[in-house]
Amino acid sequence: MNLAVSDQAGGPAAVPAKPEPGRQASQLLSALFRRQENAGKLTILDVGRALPETVTFCSAISCRIHVVDLFEVLRGGGLDPEGSGKTLQRQFQELLGFASGTRLDICLLWDFPHYLDEKQLRAFSGALFPWLQPHTLGHVFGVHSGATQLLNREYGIVDERHLSVRTRTTPPMKCKPHPQSFMGEWLTCFRNVRGVLLPDGKIETLLQATV
Amino acid sequence: MFDKHKGNKPQNDSAPPPVASHSAPATPTPSAPAAGKAAVIGPGIIVKGDISGTDNLVIEGKVTGSVKLASHEVSVGPSGEVNADVAARLIRIAGKVHGDIEADERVVISKTGNVRGNITAPRVMLEDGAIFKGSIDMDPGDAAVVKSAVAQSRPAAKPAPVPEAVSDTSDKAPDLSLKSG
Repeated sequence: MNLAVSDQAGGPAAVPAKPEPGRQASQLLSALFRRQENAGKLTILDVGRALPETVTFCSAISCRIHVVDLFEVLRGGGLDPEGSGKTLQRQFQELLGFASGTRLDICLLWDFPHYLDEKQLRAFSGALFPWLQPHTLGHVFGVHSGATQLLNREYGIVDERHLSVRTRTTPPMKCKPHPQSFMGEWLTCFRNVRGVLLPDGKIETLLQATV
Repeated sequence: MFDKHKGNKPQNDSAPPPVASHSAPATPTPSAPAAGKAAVIGPGIIVKGDISGTDNLVIEGKVTGSVKLASHEVSVGPSGEVNADVAARLIRIAGKVHGDIEADERVVISKTGNVRGNITAPRVMLEDGAIFKGSIDMDPGDAAVVKSAVAQSRPAAKPAPVPEAVSDTSDKAPDLSLKSG
């Protein structure tokens, strides 16, 4: 992805207020949902644990949210480490478990791709692709460089402008942050639309389906 | 099989479901659902089959089959284990449920709740610590458009509670905006 650096919206007056502890300001969540304003009932995929704040947020809109905790699957050794790309893709398809006819509007991927290697990420992308539509958007945390440290965190949605950030209660898993260029190449079902560099080196990224 | 007693104390939505007394289940207790009679399946009871009726129901035992109490309330207590589809007006879960859940009004999963299945309800509340796997189909009704939700979540809106502070969470706004070329 070619990144062009630009000033963040406006001058000093535009600097948002300091968020409360456990929250992280987000400039992209609003875009994620605003772009779907005319989509009717939304179908959302969350690949993390079901968090109260996300459910509460979604409870205010007309939607169907699929909670598929793929982090737990990885933690439990649910993916065949020696499996071929096709085998892994089939495993992901089974894990996603969507009913025929499901079409996703929003995919909340958080930092999940960084817990997969190239083969797994391509397989995940292949498994997700059939459920996407041209207008499907995704949210993911990229990293500025492979040296960026990803902490053992899980994320939710507090409101249109804030994510919740929690320390996982489970031990950290093996993680190899993928720089944006690799992520774009391996997560083939999406392309990057916009990224916001965060102070900790993560890049909050808005994705659009490549369907 | 079922014990009935009058509920006489209003309940908070987020409060854990009532706990039926195993030793004296027929005695009126404040643990019954908010309004009307409540049948109680005690912790030592196992039910296999379809349950339907016109009372509220508290499940502290094991149920396999289906539970349909159209305009009433079902509470699955901490010791309750339900392997069934559940349909009711209001459903509170503090125990285990494996099955699809459909509520006309709302579903509340408390911190000890463990649900695996698909939920359909206008509103769903999940307490911190609750375990949920499946899908949630929500439609709050008149306000059921993304536009209104986005508007509601703007600054004046009260955010969902975030109980745990994370010390190293970014407390600064992002300082750069990057756009793909």
